[in-house]
This record gives sequence, C-alpha cells and structure tokens, in this order.
Amino acid sequence: MSQPSLAPFIRSRPWLKRWMVPFANWYASAQGYRKLGLRADDLIPEENDTVQLALKRLPPKEAYDRVFRLRRAFQASLSHQLLPPEEHTKPEEDIAYLGPIITEIEAENQERDDLEEMFVPKRKQVAASAKKSH
Amino acid sequence: MLSRTSISRSCTKALQRHCVCRRTQIRNLAAAASGSFQYETGEEAGVKYASRDLPGPTTTLTVVAKAGTRYQAQPGFSDALEKFAFKSTTRRSAVRMIREVELLGGDLSAYHSRENLVIRAKFLREDLAYFTELLADVISKTKYAPHELNEQVVRVMKLGQKHLLANPSHMAINSAHGLAFHRGLGTPLYPTSSTTFSKYLDSEEIYNFALSAYSKSNIAVVANGTSQSELSKWVREFFEDAYTGGRKLESPPSKYYGGEERIAHDKGNVMVIAFPGSSSFTSGSSWKPEIGVLAALLGGQSSIKWTPGFSLLAKAASEHQHAHVSTQNHGYSDAGLLAVTVTGTASHVGKASHSVVEALKKIASGDVSGEDIKKATALAKFQALETGQDINAGLEATGSGLITGGKAYQIDEIGQAIDKVGEDKVKAAAKSLLDTKATVSTVGDLFALPYAEDIGLKI
Repeated sequence: MSQPSLAPFIRSRPWLKRWMVPFANWYASAQGYRKLGLRADDLIPEENDTVQLALKRLPPKEAYDRVFRLRRAFQASLSHQLLPPEEHTKPEEDIAYLGPIITEIEAENQERDDLEEMFVPKRKQVAASAKKSH
Repeated sequence: MLSRTSISRSCTKALQRHCVCRRTQIRNLAAAASGSFQYETGEEAGVKYASRDLPGPTTTLTVVAKAGTRYQAQPGFSDALEKFAFKSTTRRSAVRMIREVELLGGDLSAYHSRENLVIRAKFLREDLAYFTELLADVISKTKYAPHELNEQVVRVMKLGQKHLLANPSHMAINSAHGLAFHRGLGTPLYPTSSTTFSKYLDSEEIYNFALSAYSKSNIAVVANGTSQSELSKWVREFFEDAYTGGRKLESPPSKYYGGEERIAHDKGNVMVIAFPGSSSFTSGSSWKPEIGVLAALLGGQSSIKWTPGFSLLAKAASEHQHAHVSTQNHGYSDAGLLAVTVTGTASHVGKASHSVVEALKKIASGDVSGEDIKKATALAKFQALETGQDINAGLEATGSGLITGGKAYQIDEIGQAIDKVGEDKVKAAAKSLLDTKATVSTVGDLFALPYAEDIGLKI
C-alpha cells in the first residue's frame, strides 16, 4: 500500500482523469480477478504486520465475506474454471474495504515516528523568538 | 503527514498562547489566594462550573459527569467510557495528546464511582487554556473507534477485573452495595466476571451513552487553583460545542433492601456489616450528620498512634489482634450505606464481628458516656472538613452537587451542622439501625466465618 503511485496526480487533473479512468476500468476488468468473484482488496499481500492488524480491524461481516470470496476463488482456481457470469464481481461491488484501514494504520505509525524524532525548543527560547517576531 | 517542523510549529503556537495567558495572570507562590476554601460557582455556555483559587503553582481541573455505574445503560459502560477518556479525538490522536501533555508537564486521569465519572487534569497554572481545550475535546470529540475498544479498552477492563477478583475487600463492599440497593447504587463498580460486560460492549452503544453522559446539563467543570474569571473565559470558549440534547440519564430513587451474601475466597477474610446510612452533604435535606457521628463513635481505627483510641470498636477489637475494623459512611445523592468492615484472620474476624453488634446495642441503649459522643462529634467534624479540603474528594462532591442543582461542598456550613448533633440523636440513630434489616457480606473462609444470625443481626 505504501508504494509510490500516480493516482493522486491523475485524479487532481480533470483532463488527465477523463482520459485515464476509462482505460483503468478496462484494465481492472481485463485482469480477470473479477471473474473469480474477488475484489481488488482481496489480492493485497497479507504477510506483514500492517495488513494483519488491518484484517483484525475489519468488521465481522466484511471479514466473513472476504474469507468466503477467497475460498470460492481458490476452489475455482483448483478446478481450472471461471465462475459463471452471474457470480462475477460487478464493478460497483469492487470497493476498497481494506485499503483505507491500511492507510490509517500507516499514518498512525508515521505519526509515532515523527513524534519520536521531534525537536522541542525550551519555553524561554520560544518566548524570546515570539517576542522578536512581534 | 506530519513533518518535524510542522509539529514543532504547532507546539510553538500552543506554547505561545500560554505565554500570552501568562502575561495577564502572573502569580508567584507567595501571593495570597483570592478566596477561602469556598467555591465560586457560575454558568457559561450552558455548562455549570465552580472554582476556588488555592495558592500554589498548579491547577487541578476536572469535568464531573453524572454517569457512574448507577446511570449506565448496560453493564461495563461507565468503566468503558472512563477508559475511553484521552483516546483519539477528531482533532488529535491519543499518542499525540499524550506527547503534548508530557511536553507541557501534566497529569491526566479518569475514574468512575457509583454516581459520577470524573476526568481530571493537573497542570501548571499557565497551561489552563490548553487543558480546558483538551478536556472539552475529550468529552465532545472522542471518536470511540471500534478498533480502540477492542485493542485497548477491553484489555484494560479485563485486567481491572482480575485486580478486583484478587481483592476480597472490594468484593465485599460491592456485594454489600448490591444487597442493600439491588440495581442503581447496587450495580457493582466493576463487573466480576468477563462475560458480564463483553456481550454488551459495542462502540456505537458507548457513543450513544457518551451523548447522554457528556451532555451540557449532565456535566460540571470544577477547578482548584485558578481564578473564576480565567476559568469562565475558557469554559465559554471551549465548551460551546459540547453535546446537547442526549437522552437524559435517569435512575429510580434508591430503596434499601438488605440481606446476606457469602462468597468463598482464598486470599483474605472480610466481613462487611452495613446499615442504611446518610446521603452526602451536597444532596441537601436528606443528609444526616448524626450518622457521621455514629460512624466516628463506632470507629475502629485511631488517628493517633500507639493507642486504640476512644471508639467502641477499636477498644473491643484490641482483644482480637489479627482483626482490623473500620467504619465508614458511603454517602450518595439520595441514600447512603453505613458500613463496618472487619478484615483479618478468619477466627478473629468472626469474634470481632460479634463486638460490632454489641457496640451498636450499647449505643442504642444509652450505655455510652457523653464524653465519648463529644469525641466522636469532634472527629466527625474533622473528617468532614478534611474531606472538603482534600482536593480529589472536594472536586467530585462539588461537581455532583452542582449537576443536581444542590450546593457545592462548602466547608463552613458542614462544620456548623455537625456541631449541633446531640446525644439523643445519635442514640435514636443507633436504635433505628438495629431495627432495620441489616446487610452482611462475608468473603473468605466460609467454614470459619459466622452467619448473620450467629452474630445477632436481623436479616
């Protein structure tokens, strides 16, 4: 989740967004995970502490549905079959349920690191510099 | 994302505000306090507040909410709300809050009693603005995130439970309150078994409880060590957007029942013998000063070393060396419990509990000297005045008094009222106690500890 991304750059420029979003939608469908009944967030590698904590924070229903989708996809993969079209994930169902939680956890860790490295001037110095600037 | 310079800048801004504050209110330690121990009360932005300007470099600021275990919607909610204090708010995260407080220098704590939930901050005088804003954020902007409930709050609640289970005195007092008042005041201060609260805890429900508990009509801000003008200014600014209009927390008027309960325990022996006592001073008309004098007369613990003291139970228990007796009136807003606690080895506790009943019978029959009653009156007055002077107890009592619209804990009046208690009132009180159904809680080695019938009490 913490890899560098052009997505914010594109989203903030409407002319670029107009060109890129249809292509991105086509690419997501072409990747094929939707035909196995999965969502994009099901594919996030979970072998690290951040995602493990995010999974613990999922609401119970989301966690249950995720396990169901993973088991169904695994079974389809074993039998070398795709799911019937009515069970494919629809684009409007392909929501990011795990990504925001991961972002929140990373922000908490980053804040903790920042606070560790903070430099704090003493009160008298602060008062002196405030007087100078007034 | 927070960068190093932006954090130091925001801290600088917070500190600058205190420097401005400091110029307008410069005190040194030798300056005399503006008021006596009397509280000055007022109301700003719909929130009642009280302050007294005690001398000293620090200020203690509390927010008292009428949300103790008596008013909780479901088991464990008061405890959970207390433990959610100083967790992430919409303005800053828990980690950042603690770091900022550490940098300024201060002490944060929260606790709950049977009727009140108290959030307290102690800090240097010049930081009043920051900490008023902090407490206002805690009561109005806490997120009550589900992951914080599961990862942090529930863990600490379960540890607190284990602490309670290992403490026979706590269990005995909890049990005595439960027997005496059933629901309401009788709800245990901390639940004793883990399933009792985990099935009720839900962050959404706790948020709903907080909407009612922290609404403007249900809280009071009490401060020691700051002037009223300063406090009113910051209360007006920061408590403007506290919750309003939550469902009002109500509890039916307390009724005394009584009964007996016996709990087996390996790690100590406690007997609590309790009777209907007096409500606290701030409750108004139902306060009975003679119960306080009776408690001092029964006593058990001397305030003077190397002597058992004048109190009847102390003299009686001096024969049973391994028993420790103490008497206390637990006063609440509309009822109280006069409880005699006997702890020690099982055999001595059993013998000492007989002397409790004998002492009460002696007082009721008038077989106690007038001098002893005078001593008890003096001790009761001293204890009441010292409680008012003690910062913690005075803050909670004042806060709860303000919320219920009664009086703040004004020390001068309490001393005068206790002085007026006469011998016959004390004897009448003792007689009425013996006539009512007693509450007896026994925790420990049940084979050796007596029943209430054995010691002559009516159950």
